[in-house]
Amino acid sequence: MNLLKNIALLILLTGVLHGAFAQVSPEIQLSARGVMSFNTDISDNQKATSVNDFSDTGLLLGFRQKLYSNFRGQMVIGLQFPDADSDLGQVFFHQTFLKIEDQKNILKMGRSRVRSALIEFPTLRDDDALYFTDVLNPFSSGENTEDNQYGNVIEAAHVFAQRYWLRVHGEHFTKPVQPPATSETDFSLNAVGLTLEYLIPETQLWNRPFIQQLGIGFNNFLTDRQGFSSQFDQTLKNILVSGIFNLKADPVYFVDTRFQVIYNLGFDNISEISNYFDLTRARSAAHFFSVRFLYRKLERPTLQLALSGGFKVFPDLTRETRQWQVIVNTFYRLGENFDLTLQLQQSQFSGDLKALYGKSETRIQAGLVFSIDQRWNKQFDDRNSLLNLEHGYIP
Amino acid sequence: MKRREFMQTSTMLTAAAALLPASLLSTTAVAANAQKFPAPLKPIIDGDVKEFHLFIDVHQQEIVPGFKIHTLAFNNQVPGPEIRVKRGDKVRVIFKNKTELNHTIHWHGMHVPWRMDGVPYVTQMPVMPGQEFVYEFLAEPQGTHFYHCHWGTLLHMQAGMYGSLIVEEDDDPIRKQFPYEREYTLLYSAHDVNFLREEMNSMLERMKERMYLMKNGRFNKERFAVFNTKDEFVQAVKDGYQPPYLVNRRAPDELPVPNWFTVNGKSYPMTPNLFIKEKENIRVRLINAGTEEHYLHLHGHDFWQVADDGLPVPQPWQRNTLRLSPGKTLDIIIEGKNRGIWTFHDHDTRRVTNNGLYPGGNLLALVYEDLPAKETELNMMAKKMGLKNLPIVALDE
Repeated sequence: MNLLKNIALLILLTGVLHGAFAQVSPEIQLSARGVMSFNTDISDNQKATSVNDFSDTGLLLGFRQKLYSNFRGQMVIGLQFPDADSDLGQVFFHQTFLKIEDQKNILKMGRSRVRSALIEFPTLRDDDALYFTDVLNPFSSGENTEDNQYGNVIEAAHVFAQRYWLRVHGEHFTKPVQPPATSETDFSLNAVGLTLEYLIPETQLWNRPFIQQLGIGFNNFLTDRQGFSSQFDQTLKNILVSGIFNLKADPVYFVDTRFQVIYNLGFDNISEISNYFDLTRARSAAHFFSVRFLYRKLERPTLQLALSGGFKVFPDLTRETRQWQVIVNTFYRLGENFDLTLQLQQSQFSGDLKALYGKSETRIQAGLVFSIDQRWNKQFDDRNSLLNLEHGYIP
Repeated sequence: MKRREFMQTSTMLTAAAALLPASLLSTTAVAANAQKFPAPLKPIIDGDVKEFHLFIDVHQQEIVPGFKIHTLAFNNQVPGPEIRVKRGDKVRVIFKNKTELNHTIHWHGMHVPWRMDGVPYVTQMPVMPGQEFVYEFLAEPQGTHFYHCHWGTLLHMQAGMYGSLIVEEDDDPIRKQFPYEREYTLLYSAHDVNFLREEMNSMLERMKERMYLMKNGRFNKERFAVFNTKDEFVQAVKDGYQPPYLVNRRAPDELPVPNWFTVNGKSYPMTPNLFIKEKENIRVRLINAGTEEHYLHLHGHDFWQVADDGLPVPQPWQRNTLRLSPGKTLDIIIEGKNRGIWTFHDHDTRRVTNNGLYPGGNLLALVYEDLPAKETELNMMAKKMGLKNLPIVALDE
């Protein structure tokens, strides 16, 4: 009887609290990207086709609310369809994080994109040139490209004078599961880093600056390198440098170029690459660049053409080893948010990499892309809006 | 005590008693209240012409403490300064656009030459960023009028681009019928602050592109959505042009829904007070520069509606509630006949809210300056709560 009374009281109390303190509706954000492509792969004269590759298709749901003291709080949950050959299952929750921020400070915690790259390149899928564009996760088995892109992140950022971003970040990069465990149980910090960027806000693109972005980053993986006891010697160090330049900041015929160099200091005892473990630990320099032309007919993107390419060298290996990649693609807008796309990729491998990946790989992709980014119940402005940037920030 | 005896007694008490509490009538409080009415812009006298200088810029406006928005403000104030002239005056307004947006000024209710009417692409080209435009007209007709931007009117008026334009007449029949010394101008507006913010940002971004193209002589009819004739536009659509009002171009597919309601750019509790004394007449000029209808009701009094769209009505109309439609100006005379503090507010009480919470919006008060302080006293319970006297600012009823 007492138990029933207590339950009734609890229900009543919950109801009263709800009534007295109705919640303020948060701002709701929805981002979605659907990528469907027909692929033809030719690897060392072996041809394979994929009728429908929908990897990279994903959904992001976010909620934002004003906090006290001029801060905003945000929660984001996202899922993505991983590559067909990954062992991540049908759906991968790539983003689950909380963020608090004010005009100049940001703190982010949770599963999210790791700082393995400073900029993005105009490729069809995020991981099309991953071996050049991202610092590779040395803890991964190499099975999933997502291991290099997503992890458990804690990141603090400070913005100076609207354009200078200093970020300090720590991550737990995904590790292979050690049997008999069936899922990861250790989520301790295994990487720390620092980035400094000069970044023109996207809203000020039409102020037509030449330099759009300049960045430098340091990524340090805290490995358990055998035979070395000091943390410094066990740390795998990477330096990233990037830049984006507007060659022609024209509102109709826009041309920009970008580059990123990732220098992996590596471990000096790696003199050959026989597996993914060696690949991530060998001293290397990955260079990637792109030139992009964007035609904007009625103040919206209409046609984009991009040529991207890169090469990677491994100076410490006994055998000369190189990796090349060229990507050409086009996006033609069929309507708001909806693109028809065609992409051609060509990769070449030499030296130790030839044994791992073959001599060359060609991929032709034709597909459709639908991408949306919508907000409802809008309540406040963003840090980088023109009003906030040029006419005084309103918290 | 009979009502008549009570009134006589309280009148006698008034003579000896302290008047309203200092919170309402101190020098600083009165000065602060005066700031809540648009001050007349001082003209430069150039021969027989009264020359006024207006500029427009992006400005921050605190509607109530703790809540600011970006606005488009004439001379850095919302509403813009009052232009006050005599009927028949030659008026010149030099308008400088300091923003990165296009604007014009329309003289609402005025009989200006048609090329001075301020309608973009109909009577003039828009006043583009950095440009100046000179408006010239004779001040006709008399009465309460206003001016506002006529470019992107839905956005620009909500963003604060409006101000009063008063044409005085020496032989004013209203003043003859209802002698008054003091008058007040109240400009009503309604704002969807989220629409304002999003659209101002979007428009600023678009204009950065457009001005670059304009400066380089690359005007494009379809990109700017500007055509020589209707036929030319119709033909463009036949040829595959997608007008901006289509949802596959840029139309948001929804209309703004105002969530803030202001009088002279402020919402309750920062709205102005109308001060009056017993046996005094005051004239109140009401201007609706917003998109919503307001049903304005005065407590404890009837008032006389004496002018409509600036023109004196043949027969003043005694009433206590009036409908102030968008674009209308109405003048009323309030007679100081019932001592007290009386609210004057929209009886569509959705407009007496701040962000959906009552009370707020366009609620304001008619305050008798000669109200004895004793009449504002509160009971013991209120005093225990630390409250002093009426009126009290209450924000969550």
